Amino acid sequence: MKNKDEKSIDEIFAEYSKEFLKGAKLLNKLMKDFINEKLDKSELDGVIESEHECDRIKETYIKVLFQDKRALPFLVEDRYKIIALVDEALGKMEFISRFMKIYPFDLYEDISEDFEIMCDTCYILINHLTETLELMETDFDGAFEKTLEIERIRRDARDLRYSLLGTIYKKTEEPTRVLLTSKLVNNVYDIIAWIEDIADYLRGLIIKYPTR
Amino acid sequence: MAISVPIIIVFIIISIFISFAIGANDETFATIHGSRTLTMKELLILGSILAIAGAFILGRGVSETVGKDLLTFEVSYSIVLTILISTSIWLIVSSALGAPISTTHSTIGSIMGVGILIDGLGGVNWITILEMSFWWLLSPVIGFVATYIVYKLIHKTIISKLDGFKDFERTEKIFSYILLGVICLTAFSRAGNDVSNAAGIVVGLGINVDLVLIIAGVSFSIGIVVLGRRVIKSVGNITELVPSSAFASQVPTAVILFVGTFLGIPLSGSHMLVVSLIGLAKARRAPQKGGIWRIVIIWILTFPMAAILAILLYFPINLII
Repeated sequence: MKNKDEKSIDEIFAEYSKEFLKGAKLLNKLMKDFINEKLDKSELDGVIESEHECDRIKETYIKVLFQDKRALPFLVEDRYKIIALVDEALGKMEFISRFMKIYPFDLYEDISEDFEIMCDTCYILINHLTETLELMETDFDGAFEKTLEIERIRRDARDLRYSLLGTIYKKTEEPTRVLLTSKLVNNVYDIIAWIEDIADYLRGLIIKYPTR
Repeated sequence: MAISVPIIIVFIIISIFISFAIGANDETFATIHGSRTLTMKELLILGSILAIAGAFILGRGVSETVGKDLLTFEVSYSIVLTILISTSIWLIVSSALGAPISTTHSTIGSIMGVGILIDGLGGVNWITILEMSFWWLLSPVIGFVATYIVYKLIHKTIISKLDGFKDFERTEKIFSYILLGVICLTAFSRAGNDVSNAAGIVVGLGINVDLVLIIAGVSFSIGIVVLGRRVIKSVGNITELVPSSAFASQVPTAVILFVGTFLGIPLSGSHMLVVSLIGLAKARRAPQKGGIWRIVIIWILTFPMAAILAILLYFPINLII
């Protein structure tokens, strides 16, 4: 029996998206601070807290989601898969935050501009993803277009990643710094690539649904 | 004529057995299970309630005299019992194997067995059987074509126009309510019809009709719970179902069956439903799950097996009655 105080699945998901975006926004701001050598590492805990809060909301979401598998069990399973995939993106955000806490160098000046673009791209894609997830509920065509947009942006980000790595690998001094900075770039790109994977999955669902 | 208590008890047991067998082979709720509209537990409870209610409210009709049109000699009480018991045994065997069979086919197999045993080939009205066999072959074809067309229509006019998860959720919920309504009605009337046949053998022995109907209804529902779940599961899993596609296979089958019954055409509901699910899989270009060939083999075996059972049972029953 549904409690009258119990939130609907939409409300819970909206709460989850809000917290996800809050974490992404904070991470983006902190990355900019890092690029400008103004990073307060203790602030990175905010991203980790957001991830934990999202985990808590996700648990509630799953509980409500599986309360009623009647009539459309595959829709329940698809929604579960979506939130699990998004949760993985949050996990990657948390990983970067923890990585940044122990990253002992400043960013190479010659890659700072491109790296900032990459961080912004990551934040933009997270925004696109949450919009796509909203559209999945009411507008398949709109969601489909968004996933194509995500794919296009990811393609540009891939070029940027190799350009950044190309610059980093040319450096001959401080091999640890080279290694860790390349890891930093790869970690940010990892979120971008993962968001595109989610977009691919959503596009598959959009194609599949009318034939179910 | 006073009938002894032991005889009455024997007849009640036979009636219970027949009701159980018919309930065990009742696939009415298969699409509800396949489309996950109700869980197995929920549908078994609902099926049982509808079976008892249907039997009690609609089961008062006088049962048909089994075999009177198909045998060329006068039908005795022992022949009727032989036919009913052998039919029931084959229904139970098929149910245990998860195959929905046509009760009519099983009955006719038994009639042929008894007819040949008593009066050779001349004991069976082959012309009537030939006429019926035309409809037996046509039933699956009608089920296939009707479902194919209805699914394509529903898909083109409704499903393909749905936009977003919410739309799917709403539409499929509506379909699930309609489907549930249609199936409840079918289960209710089916219980009434089938139980009246099973109860018919004890009505007239001086027992309270209400009591007989309740006993037969309860037996029918026990049949659904004990063995019916196997049939429901195997039919419901022929192809992936959602309420709209389950509706596309169930409703044309129910409507055609109703029209067929009204016009006196002996269509097989079980055959129509199974083949309509195959038609649905074809229309959706979806894969069929396993188990179809097992069902078809049992369909083919129905006539000879029911006939053999009738032949084996006739003498002992004739001796007792």
